[in-house]
Order: sequence, then C-alpha cells, then structure tokens
Amino acid sequence: MVAQRNPLYSAISLIGVFISLACLYVTLAAPFIAAVQVIVYAGAIMVLVVFVIMLLNVEIAERPMRLRALVPIAVMLAAVLFAEAVFMIYFVQASPATPTRNISDVGLTRSIGEGLFTTYLLPFEITSILLLMAIVGAMTLARTGGLLSSRAAVVPGDQVFAKEMLNRQKYIDDLTPVTTHSTEEARGLLGVEDQDRSPKA
Amino acid sequence: MTPQLSWYLALSAVLFTIGVVGVMVKRNVISMFMCIELMLNAVNLTFVAFSSFFRDLSGQLFVFIVMTVAAAEAAVGLGIIIAIFRNRESLDVDDASSLRL
Amino acid sequence: MEDLKHLALLMIGILVAFTVVMTLVAYTVLAERRVLGFIQGRLGPNRVGPGGFLQPLADLLKFIFKEDIVPDKSTRFIYFLAPIIATVAALMTMVVYPFGPDVNLPVLGTIRLVITRFDVALLYVLGVTSVGVYGIALAGWSSNNKYSLMGGLRSSAQMISYELALGLGLIGVVLQSGTLDLYSIVEQQAGHLGISGWNMIWVQPLGFLIYLIAAIAETNRVPFDLPEAETELVAGFHTEYSAMKFALFFLAEYVNMFTVSMLATTLFLGGWNGPFVHQLPWLGVFYFLGKVILFLFLYIWLRGTLPRFRFDQLMAFGWKYLVPAAIFNIVLTATLQWLGAFDYLAQFLKTQTGFWG
Repeated sequence: MVAQRNPLYSAISLIGVFISLACLYVTLAAPFIAAVQVIVYAGAIMVLVVFVIMLLNVEIAERPMRLRALVPIAVMLAAVLFAEAVFMIYFVQASPATPTRNISDVGLTRSIGEGLFTTYLLPFEITSILLLMAIVGAMTLARTGGLLSSRAAVVPGDQVFAKEMLNRQKYIDDLTPVTTHSTEEARGLLGVEDQDRSPKA
Repeated sequence: MTPQLSWYLALSAVLFTIGVVGVMVKRNVISMFMCIELMLNAVNLTFVAFSSFFRDLSGQLFVFIVMTVAAAEAAVGLGIIIAIFRNRESLDVDDASSLRL
Repeated sequence: MEDLKHLALLMIGILVAFTVVMTLVAYTVLAERRVLGFIQGRLGPNRVGPGGFLQPLADLLKFIFKEDIVPDKSTRFIYFLAPIIATVAALMTMVVYPFGPDVNLPVLGTIRLVITRFDVALLYVLGVTSVGVYGIALAGWSSNNKYSLMGGLRSSAQMISYELALGLGLIGVVLQSGTLDLYSIVEQQAGHLGISGWNMIWVQPLGFLIYLIAAIAETNRVPFDLPEAETELVAGFHTEYSAMKFALFFLAEYVNMFTVSMLATTLFLGGWNGPFVHQLPWLGVFYFLGKVILFLFLYIWLRGTLPRFRFDQLMAFGWKYLVPAAIFNIVLTATLQWLGAFDYLAQFLKTQTGFWG
C-alpha cells in the first residue's frame, strides 16, 4: 500500500488490510470488534476516502530529484524503530503462557455491552459528543455559501445595502452604502439567483 | 502450533513501521492520511491481542473508542483536505508547507 | 474424524446453498419479466421452453458468447475487480441464514440447516453489505466515462445513506430478542401454529416497514433506482460493461435482493417457522423459501407499480424521514422492553419465552 503510487490502488490495498485485520480479530476471539472493524473502517471510512479520491481526481506526481534521497533514509529510520520493537518483544520476558483463546467470554457482544454501559459509560458519552463535534465540523467545512443562505431572495425594486454584503472576506467591516437601481442589478451583485416564489401546486 | 502473543505484537510493530514510512515518504496528502489510519489499526491490533491473552475487557473497549475517534477524524480531516484542495488545486504536501495560499 | 465430518458438512452445505440461491436468482429474473408483463398487460418471455421455463439458460448462453468489450482508457485492474467485489460481497452473506430447523439425516445424524452459526451474524451481514458498495463505486470510476462516474457516485451515496437506516431498523429486533445470532432469533419466533410468534405482527411493525424501505433503497430497486434507470443516466455505473462482467453485476443485484429478502424473512417473518414445522422439519425449508419468494414478488410488484424518486428527494427521504423514524422505533422498543410489554405479549404469542431476562 505504501509502495503504490496511485492513491486509489493504495485505498484498495488498505481495504484488504482492514478485512485481514478483521479476520485476525476473529482468531483472537473478538468477533464483535471484527464486525465493527469491517463496518466502520472498511465500510465507512474507506468509502469516504475513495469518494474523495474520485471527486478530486488525484493523479500520480513524480518526486523531484533533490528529495529522492529521503526515501532510503526513511526506510532506515523505520528499520531502527522496528528493531527496537522486536527487542522489546523478544527479550523482555513478561508475556504469560498461552491460554486457549477460543473459550473466552470476553469478546462477546454481551460483555462489551455491559462494560460499555456500566464501567466505561463516561468515555462512551464523551465519544458521542466527539462524534457530534465531528458532524458539526464537517458540515461547517462543506459549506460554501457566504453571508446569505441559499434560499435568500432579493426584495424587488431599488435598494441600498452595506458593501460588506458583497463579499464577507474582502470588504470586512466595510459599511459604505451601495445603491442599486433595479432588482436584477441587486441580484447580480449579491449573487442571489432568480427563484420562483409562487406557491407550488 | 498455536499463535503466541509475541507474533501478534510483532505484526503490529511491522504495520506500525510501514505506516510511519508511508507518512514520511508519501507526498499525496490522502495517502498520508491512509498511512495514519494504518498506524491506528496497528495499535488496535495490539490492544485486541493483549485483551485476548490477558482476558481483560478494557482492551476491546478501548479499540471501540479508537475506532470511533478514527471515524470522526476521517470525516473532519477529509473535509479539511477538500477545503484546501479548493484553494490550491494541488494535493501535494511539500507545496503546502508554508502557511500562505 | 469429527473435524473432517464438520468440514464435509460445511462444504456440502455451501454447495447446496449456492446452487439453490443461484437457481432461484436465475428464475427470479424470469419471474420478474413475466410478472411485470402481467402487470403491464402483456406476456413476458414464453417461447423458450414451456412457459419460458428455459429462458435463464438462454440468457446465460447469450452472456457467455457475447463479445467482451473493454474501454480503451479505463483502469484495467479496477475495471476487472469491481464486478468481482460486487458479486462476492453479495454472495458472502448466504452463510449465516438458517434454512430450516434441525433435521435428521440417515447417515449424517442430526444436522442444523445453517452453514455456520456465530455470535455476531447480524453485524456480519451488515458489514458485508457495506463492502458491496465498493463494487459500484469502483465500477463507476474505472469506466472512464462521466455518466458512469456520476451514476456510480450517486448509487454509492444512496447505498451508504440507506445502510444507516437499515442498521437502525434492525436494532429493534435485536433489543427484543437479546441476541445478534440469526438462528436464535428465528428460534425465538416459534408461536402458536407457527405464525403468532413472528416479529413483524405484534412486536416490530414499524421496524419492519423501515427495514423494507431501506432494503429497497439499498438494493437500488424501484422506486429508488434513479442511478441505474435506463432513461436517466444511460444505465448508470454499468454502462461500459458487457457480456460476463455485466452478467456479474446483474447477478449481484439480484443476489442482493435475495439477501435482504432472506434477512427480512429471518428477522421479521419468523424464518422457517410455520404450521406443523416441529413434526415435519423439512417443511421449514419450504416455509422459508416461500416467504422469501413472497418478498421477491413484492419487489417485482413495486417495480411495476411505482414511479421513481428524484435523487435529492431520495436522499432527503433517507436522512430526514427514515433515520428519525428508525431512532423513534428504537426508543419506543426500548421503552416497551423496559416496561415489560414484550414479556407480557410473549406469554400469549410465543411458545418459548424470549432470551432477555
């Protein structure tokens, strides 16, 4: 996944990795976490990533010559990190004897539910607030409208409004009056489209 | 032979270092984001392995929370990426290294 | 020896289930054409074999012998991968449905008519359905055709929106049954004459309705089939696919329909429960398949009758009406469960009490 240059192939490989990890979780007697992994990661987050890749039409870019030397250095540093982890795992004797894992009561949905709603209720509630923050944040980022909502309409006739209504960022706090002499001119300046306000049948 | 705990931890370490290499090496910001998700998953694997071998529930609950946080981070992160792309027309991280447009 | 017998049973089970499902799917295509013809006042295909009986075989031969056109500028790997993902994800859900109660076979002893049974079967089905979205999204992208891309993105957006409503509609059943295991949920729906215990009638009418609407939207059928309607987007995401790959997409759509019908039967209509099913276990298989065929007939009936939603109406309906209705259903079910209404009803309706409590 890291070695592929096309980000869409990377995404597909990552989906494969997530599904394989879900299978590993099943061998570790954690079926609920495995199912949630497939639903959340492979089924929702990666769909989002694939949508973004398709919408933004990302292409493959070549790396300039001066930065080509960084790749072997990165691989060497990563090898150092990996060696450190291997050292900790194999030479520090703290792991228990291998029990039989298949008859464990821990991974069942019932146990997770009981834990989630009794002992770990506070993290659960905070997570729900976090998700709410994420929803509000994503909607704010996706908003392209300016000061006016998308259903705004212009009052017919000539009118006077403050200059900051035209473009919030450019003319911020600029209150000099702008006079328009017809509805079409006002519509054009404010960027409001002509909407049919007659009652629908 | 039955899988040992250290095998799962070694796999997790491998995945984590691959993720780290990816974040350092990749220029496309979406690829970097995917490598970050890979690192999160490596840590998830460690938690689930420990929870299974020590019969402790808190490992799996923490994995649950981590997945939720990753989902929230994915939504907001991709929103930011799209917003940056609208202004710059390029998804290259090296070009975006200074704060000016 | 025990392991070998288990493995052999699994293999036989998979083969039998696969054959049954594929045959039924092939004849569903034929049935759709004939029933649509009946609704529209014409005859469907009736020339190939008596009453059109061999039409699926003719279709299969046509698909095999058709020329396989691959667009020039398409991304080859993803172009070949997309129908595979769609079909595999659609077929993988067959594994957890209980086709019947325990039956006694002469040489193999008592076997349970389900391929495998595990704790989180319902979540597994939801997960695999989520992965099936990729087939459509990648198909739209890899065809290098803006109509395909639009159709693919619209179709995937619709599917992931209604997946949420689908999952939420199922939670009511899970709350009341206390388990995610499909076999247990079916077992708990045993009632007087095999009918009164069904979850749809007394326990979850609103949940059933929500699930049905979400399932029709999830499988991209009328009235939610704007992304693939012929008059709208030139057949949507599978515009550029021909011959066998198109056959795989076609198959995937009908297998998806089959899957959600089987899930609805299992959760809401009592699975293999019916009159006299405990005296005669093989009758359970007929009841199960009969109910699934009823659902398929409902799908075809809706196709012949309803107009289709516009895409923004479709998305607004999914997010603004169906998800709040599903959440209301969950709250209502949880409240009634806490007040003990379901246990009270279960005394009259079910011959076995529920798992919860």
